[in-house]
This record gives sequence, C-alpha cells and structure tokens, in this order.
Amino acid sequence: MELLEYQAKELFRMVGIPILPSQTIKDSRKIKQLQIPYPVVLKSQVRAGGRGKVGGVKFVANTIDAIAAARTIFNLSILGEYPEVILAEAHYNAEREFFLAIVLDYELQCPVLLGSAYGGMNVNALLANLQQVVINTEFSLFHARRLAACMGLSGNLICSVSEIIAKMYCLFQEKDLDLIEINPLGVNTQGELMALDGKITINSHALSRQPIINTLNLSEYQKEHHPNPVGWHWLDWNNRAGKIATVCNSFDLALLTWDLLNQNRINPACGVVIDDNFTDQEQSPQLYCDRLRQILAELTSTKKLKVILINIWETETASNEILQTVVDYVQSTSELDLSSSPEKSNLSIKSANRDRLQNSLEKELSPSQPKFVVRLLAEKDLTLDTGDESIHLSSSLENAVAKAISIVKSN
Amino acid sequence: MDWSSPNKVIIQGITEPEIAFHAVQMKAYGTDIVAGVNPGQGGKTIEDIPVFDLVEQVLTIADSIDTSLIFAPPYQVLDAVKEAISTGIRRIVIFTSNVPPLDSIELIKCAQASNTLILGAGSDGIIIPEQVLLGKLQPKFYQRGKVGLITTSKYLSYEVAAELNQTNIGQSIVVSLGSDRISGSSLPQWLSILNEDPHTEAIVFIGQRIKKAEAIVAFCKNQECDKPIISYIAGLKTPKEKVLNDAVSIISNHLSTSIPTVNQERRIVNQLKKVGVKIAKRPSEISSMLSEIFHSQTS
Repeated sequence: MELLEYQAKELFRMVGIPILPSQTIKDSRKIKQLQIPYPVVLKSQVRAGGRGKVGGVKFVANTIDAIAAARTIFNLSILGEYPEVILAEAHYNAEREFFLAIVLDYELQCPVLLGSAYGGMNVNALLANLQQVVINTEFSLFHARRLAACMGLSGNLICSVSEIIAKMYCLFQEKDLDLIEINPLGVNTQGELMALDGKITINSHALSRQPIINTLNLSEYQKEHHPNPVGWHWLDWNNRAGKIATVCNSFDLALLTWDLLNQNRINPACGVVIDDNFTDQEQSPQLYCDRLRQILAELTSTKKLKVILINIWETETASNEILQTVVDYVQSTSELDLSSSPEKSNLSIKSANRDRLQNSLEKELSPSQPKFVVRLLAEKDLTLDTGDESIHLSSSLENAVAKAISIVKSN
Repeated sequence: MDWSSPNKVIIQGITEPEIAFHAVQMKAYGTDIVAGVNPGQGGKTIEDIPVFDLVEQVLTIADSIDTSLIFAPPYQVLDAVKEAISTGIRRIVIFTSNVPPLDSIELIKCAQASNTLILGAGSDGIIIPEQVLLGKLQPKFYQRGKVGLITTSKYLSYEVAAELNQTNIGQSIVVSLGSDRISGSSLPQWLSILNEDPHTEAIVFIGQRIKKAEAIVAFCKNQECDKPIISYIAGLKTPKEKVLNDAVSIISNHLSTSIPTVNQERRIVNQLKKVGVKIAKRPSEISSMLSEIFHSQTS
C-alpha cells in the first residue's frame, strides 16, 4: 500500500528524520486556523507523481491567498485523482536537493540503497546520477556512508546523510516496506537536512502485521484497495471490441486461454479469475457456485458478449457441480426471457439425461444471450458440441477455444 | 539430491484447514509422514498422524527427519523454517504463499548458511509419478514417464501433463517452484538437478514470467546441459501490469511513469533460442516437439 506524503512524514517523524512543521487540512475554510507562520506551502495529497508541474503545490503568503489556493487545489484532479487532504507546510530554503531511497530488489533478492546528488523534479538528471549500494549482508552504517561517498558528498554531509539513510533503513525493516523515498532531501546554507517530500510503500502481504496503518487516517482510495478478498477478480484486459469473456480458476490458466485465442487473432473482451479452489477451502462448494453465478450474472449484464468461455481445472466431481451451476444459470436467465416456455424443469446433468438437456437448451435460449463454452474435466461422453445449443462442453482446452472462436466468427 | 529415496517427512502447520486432505493423499501414495507439528496442538492425532508442539520432539519417535513440508500461516513461516533447520532438516518445501518478502530474504540466508534446499514459498510441491508425492499436486493428472517438468503453476503443469499423457510420454518428476516473487531455490538449481537425474530425458519449463526463463540462458551458457530443454511461457503478449524487479527500474518507474520500460520479451526469447532452448507456443506443441526429439534420438 502506497502512503500519502503526510502519512509517510508521520513515519519519518517517528524515527527522527527531520521534517518541517506542518498541518493537514480537509476543508479550505479551516485554513484560517493554521498554526504555521506564513509563507506556507500547500501541497495536494495525491498518489500521483508530478503534482508540482500541474499546480498541485502552491506557495502562499497570507490567509486570503491560502483560502483561494486551497480551493483551487481541492478542485484540481491529478491524473484523475482529487485530494481528500492538503498538507500545509512551512517554507524551507534549500540550497541543494538530494534524492535518497531504499527499494526491495526482487532480482537480487535484497534491499538496495539508492541516492542521487541531483534530487528534485528533474528526473533525467536524477537518474543520470543515480548511485546504488546493494545490502546483501546485515545492514551497517558504513553501507550508508558508501552510498553518500558514491553520490559525491564530502565533509559533514557524509555523516549526516548516512544517518538519515540508517533511519530510513530502520523503517524499511520494521514496517515491511517495499520502498521508502525522500525526494528532495533539502540542504540549507548551514548544511542542515530536511525531508521535504517522501514516499513509502508497505508490502501488501505484511499489512496486517503492521498496526501502524490503523493510526494513519487512510484515504478512501487506500481503504478501497486494502486487500478485501471476495474470492474473484477482474483482469485488466479491457478490450471494447472483444466478444469473448474468459472465466478461469487461476491467473496462469487465464493467460494460457488468452494465448490460444490470440494465436487465432481474437482478443478477449475481459477476463475473470476465481481465486478459491473448489475443494481446498474452508467454505462450502455452495459458496463457490454462488460466486460463479455472480460472475456470470455480472458478465451477461454488463458486456455485449457472444461467448463466455469458462476454463476451470477441477476434479471431475467438482466439475459436475460447476457444470450444473452453469446449466442452472442459463436456465434461470432463459426463464426470465421466455417465461412462457413450457419445457424447463428438471434440467439436470446428474440425471444423465443429456439429450434432453441439449434439446431444452436449444429451445429455451433467446438469441441475445451469450453462448457458453465450458472446458471442464469430464468423462468423454459429456461432450455436447453438436447443433446450436448454448452450452458447449469439452474436456480439451484447444477444442473449447476452437469452438468459442467458431461461434464468434459465425455471426 | 535424490528425492526418490525413502524419505521421513514431517508437516509443520498440520492443523491448518485442508491439510489433512493432502496428508491422507500423500500417505496413500506411500509417503512416510512420521509426524505433524503445530504449537499448542501437541498430543493430538490427525488422520493417524501424531502431532507435536516442537519439531525436536518428533525425534522421540523417529531417528531422523529428511524433509519438512511447511503449511504454517505466512507470518509464522520464517520461524518454522528456522526451527526445521535447527533440528537438522535439510530439505524444506514451503507451501504457504504471500510470505512477507523480508522474511523470505532472511530464511534464504538461513538456508544458505546451513546448506538447506528450500522449495517455495508458494510451492505446490514435488511429484515423481507412481513413486513419491510431497505436497498438493494431484497425482491422477500425471503419468510415469521420461520428461521432467519445472513449473511455477500447478494448473499449467496439469495442462502440459495432459498433453504428454495423450502421447504416452509421461513425466519423470514435476517440481513446482513456487508463486512468491522471492523463492528459496532457483530455476538453474533445478535444471542442474534434473540434468543429472537418470530418469529424466528432457526438461520442460512452464511459467508465466519471461524474466524467470532468462535464468535458463545463463544456465545453458555456464553448464554442460546435454538434455533438450523446452520452454512454455504463458501470456507473453497478454496486456498486463508492468512487473518490475530490479531497484533502478522500480525507482525510475516510480519517479516518472513516462519513462519507457524496455520490452524484454523478444530479447529473452531470442536468447533462449540461441542457446538451443525450444519455445512452445501452446501445451500441445510441447508433446509434438518432444515426440520429434525422441524420434530423432532413436533413429
């Protein structure tokens, strides 16, 4: 989870990284009660970077200016995001600006210290002068001094900057961070240091062992993106021209299914991944089937789809129940569409009356409904891929994909 | 390291839900599960498996323990690994996924210091069809044979195995590397284990991140690998979130999303081809490639 600047600074304060006096404001009228002497900097608290360039940071000299500036900032969206909070901060005269960060490097499998003597908004200069020190043993202060020296610092700055790095490292370890960054770290004419802006990302798998997040006043966005398992999720594939939706029970299967469609020049409209296993769970299979129904309802109601391609790898027993769920779903929607249809009860694949299933499916479905192509592990004789019915079942993925494609291409 | 030899196994975190099912399945397959360990649950039995509070207490009923299968909750995994290593266990499979990365880094350090082989975190285990089952892979989807599968995904390995079974090629061993971004044993380690395995005639790597496959290139350059390697990477062209691994890319992307990230996929695919690795486009192509290889070897 990414923290906002004022939340990151709260953590900085806890470990003694110097920050300016500041105050958060949720309403532009409250700015009259500001305790910090003017001039003051007002900063939009959004996740997106580059807010300074688009007007999300304003210098103000008095209350009247401040109210007007605060209103503007609250109404300014930065990459689609409006701030819930503005941070009002004292002004600081920085003579130089440094960049410091600690990042978890997944390739090296250890933290890396990063620093640049050219911090601030000029990203190109910053990156061109970026130095790094890999921490593949126990961290010690000399690692930080090594980084400071690589950055070209000298004199007292070597010691003062490395102490800040050590404090950042302390937060990094204790709070399970993926990333901690100070940019810029301001240096004034006396050589004093000040963390003027900062970012912190807490690793999402460690959030629940970090009680600190309960004291941070999370924004609506942060609360929404707090892991809240609902058992399934959308894949970020939104392709408006697509006619096929895929439903798979793992991300890898979704990728494989996408590949096979793409190799036939068809790109799916969207994808859903079911996160739970049918058998490996505390909850009942009933809940799993309820979820599948929910997913199908959402897909049929929101997308203009021709085919819903379901690829779920489960044992044969589970597969039967899953197929039954799909059949029930199709039947229930067709009941809504054609309430006068006489032939609809007792549709059960368990009763093995498959010809009847096939016949009734053919009759009952309105043409606007998407067709269902289902890939499940099943005995071979369960394959219903003749005629023009709305559920096609195959135990071979490649056959299922070919069927889905032929439906899309046929009309 | 020989995984096919008789093996005394314990399960740490045996009272976690759903584990009993796998324990029964493993016992039925002939795996010698001597005990389970769960702090505070000592004295119970689960599916006839005695449960202890501490790993060292298991030594009261067994002379030694070869392997520990860890199912403990994510925040307890590091401690469980340390406990297993301190009791002298040198093979560990971590099934728990989403272990905090700083914990993974520390447990890997402990493993290196004690020369312990760790599979996972987030692994589904190992199977040698009709011989050894350690973990969650479903034996009925595999068939005994001569191809070693190294996979990061249980389901993709089922898909590939289904194709191989159809042509009666079968599997000599299936290893699930684990889904976590930081893992205890690397792809090259397993390539070299399978390269020396007398029952394996060809190696198939199945994954979803090309970055992992890059390790095969280095392996083939540095080591004599006399067995054919085929690789299937799912989702090479799928629209996806950028997953950045190294510190400088992460920070550059963080500072400015407009900095382009180099498309590495084509480069890595070309490198793989250059060192002789065959790239399969879909699971069914793997079995046709293998049939061709085995056919040309016999003729």
